[in-house]
Amino acid sequence: MKIAFIGQPNAGKSTLFNGLAGYKTITANFPGQTVHYTISKVKVGEDIFEIVDLPGIYSLTAIDKAEFEARKYILSGQADVVINVIDASTLSRSLELTLQLTELQVPMVICLNMIDEARRKGLKIDTEKLSQIFGVPVIETIANKGIGIDKIFVSAKEVYQKKLIPKIQFFHRDIEERIEEIERTIPKNFFKNLPRRYIAVKLLEGDEELFEGVKSYSEILKKINHIREEIKITHGRDTDMVISSERHALTMNIFEEVTKIGEPLKTLREKVDDILTNRYLGYPLLFSIIFGIFFLVFEVGKIVEKPIVSLFELAIEKLPSIIKEGSLGFFLIKGLLEGFSGGMGVAIPYLIPFFIGLTILEDIGYLPRMAFLMDTVMHRIGLHGKSILPFVVSYGCNVAGVMATRILESQRDRFITAALSVFVPCAARTSVIFGIVGAFIGGTAVAAVYIFNILIIMLLGAILTKFAPEVTPGLIMEIPPLRAPTLKNVYMKTWLRLKDFITVAWPLLVVSSITLSLLEYLKVDIFLNKFLSPIVSLLLGLPEQVGITLLFGILRKELSMIMLFQAMHTTDLSAVMSNIQLIVFTVFTVFYMPCVGTIGALIKECGIKKMLIITVITLLVALILAFVSKIFLSFFI
Amino acid sequence: MKTLLNIDDGKKVKILKISGGKTVRQHLQCLGIHIGDIVILKKGSFLGGPVLLEVNGYDVALGRGVASKIEVEEVE
Repeated sequence: MKIAFIGQPNAGKSTLFNGLAGYKTITANFPGQTVHYTISKVKVGEDIFEIVDLPGIYSLTAIDKAEFEARKYILSGQADVVINVIDASTLSRSLELTLQLTELQVPMVICLNMIDEARRKGLKIDTEKLSQIFGVPVIETIANKGIGIDKIFVSAKEVYQKKLIPKIQFFHRDIEERIEEIERTIPKNFFKNLPRRYIAVKLLEGDEELFEGVKSYSEILKKINHIREEIKITHGRDTDMVISSERHALTMNIFEEVTKIGEPLKTLREKVDDILTNRYLGYPLLFSIIFGIFFLVFEVGKIVEKPIVSLFELAIEKLPSIIKEGSLGFFLIKGLLEGFSGGMGVAIPYLIPFFIGLTILEDIGYLPRMAFLMDTVMHRIGLHGKSILPFVVSYGCNVAGVMATRILESQRDRFITAALSVFVPCAARTSVIFGIVGAFIGGTAVAAVYIFNILIIMLLGAILTKFAPEVTPGLIMEIPPLRAPTLKNVYMKTWLRLKDFITVAWPLLVVSSITLSLLEYLKVDIFLNKFLSPIVSLLLGLPEQVGITLLFGILRKELSMIMLFQAMHTTDLSAVMSNIQLIVFTVFTVFYMPCVGTIGALIKECGIKKMLIITVITLLVALILAFVSKIFLSFFI
Repeated sequence: MKTLLNIDDGKKVKILKISGGKTVRQHLQCLGIHIGDIVILKKGSFLGGPVLLEVNGYDVALGRGVASKIEVEEVE
């Protein structure tokens, strides 16, 4: 039995899903967090349930790409049961989606999640009555506390066995007559797995996908357009607006019938929220929060890094006494040790505190508030506040950042945000910045690199906007209430993200490290370095051995640093490279070419052509910036 | 005609007209903002920033551009 979780963004679908399936998907207090769907099989007693966590959708009229994906899945008719997850505190709005879901005529359970939130707002919901209206079970849950989630499978099984299909709520008579008229007109084999009424309503609304399908029947198309015209004349508005207000009226009727509104509890939370988005205090707070996280990441990471790295260094130093220096075995073991040391000593000490910080910000719901505060600034670079999410996520990983651009409505915004996101130093590049600039030059220089990076991103944004002028109306976004993060969620999410690094990136680090050792043994590295030397040595003024490390960096950005240690035959880089060279190397690594993972994500989200454009831009920018830094810094250092 | 940009913080307003394209209108409808609805302006635009509305108990942020397209009148 296949169960699909459908609901509006930030209704808690993923939290419910994780509660049922074990921790499989990343959740956050941000509308549109889930951009692709996760499937999991769960065995309860004798039954096997396949549950699908879909991206949130406000309605079946898809607005952004994530919504479009979810809608496609729902319409494909794969789900045996639909669980309509509703944030009970936004019931008045959420019921509009419920109304549309009833038209799909699939067995359904209504799940009123965050019922505690609703009570806090003074909403009392009569679930009995709601259940009567739709003719399907209504259950109450508090997903993040695990309350009520056991009822989901029971209800799902019940509606599946009894074939409890939700009752359609009818519009006004005149509109219903028109709907019937269209239902009679459309041919039998037209989208045959969709209910007739759904097709008719969507055609009235002018749904693009269905209109595309009806194009080949010119007679029918004519008739539908005629009906739409007639409605426009009698109601004085476009049919999509007529249907929408019909639906709104129905929703409000049901809402008023099933809820009693009491006094909301004014708590500390509202006061904190008010300060976080305060026009004067909001910005210094934003700055201190971001700065605080980086400071903590740096300080904590440094303490852990030192002993681990020195342990591995000791092992490498001792190596010649165990195995003959210069032999194949020596090179392989050295490569292995260096690869391990890179993952364990340099990346993980910084990654763990960073992921914890990011998770807490996400779960509290600070990111939408950041979007609110940063809207003006983002307009300066031709975007709006929502683009801040892909940027923030990119500080963790560009792949996730590029995928997060799906929450944006227009293709133009998605492209510009994706193009700028790949310049954001991800966790991998963060370890390069800390591991090279931080370790050998100091904390102020690290801060300077970050600020420089942000300025360049803003400048690029301003330039890209010149080529693609802003056409989007701007920010339209729900700001969900602040929530206290739960320890379990922070722990599980950090672990899930770290697992990605350990299982995907780290093996790659080790293998590449061994490969470089092997290349060195075979003396191929010298050849490759010679080939790259016009750029590396002449243009950027770096040692020739650096060339090959930059090639490895395309696989994973932190590889270029690990490889650099290996290529220079020391972890004490300051002995072999000048400060200028270290900065030039870091600047180049931070800006040049997205890693293979990100390239893959770019192809998926923007297409090959745009991926190539973005890649060329990054290479040019990296070359120019590294060259300029070299010239500029030579006057000061 | 007053838009959401000409209203003081904390005032209750009724939405009279939403100009702008179909996409904007649909997007606003999705977030529960329709013509005829009554909403509270929690925070007005500051230095070109967005406005914050309270709609039936939840908060929605609208960029300055969008807010300027929504005509309203004060109620009460």
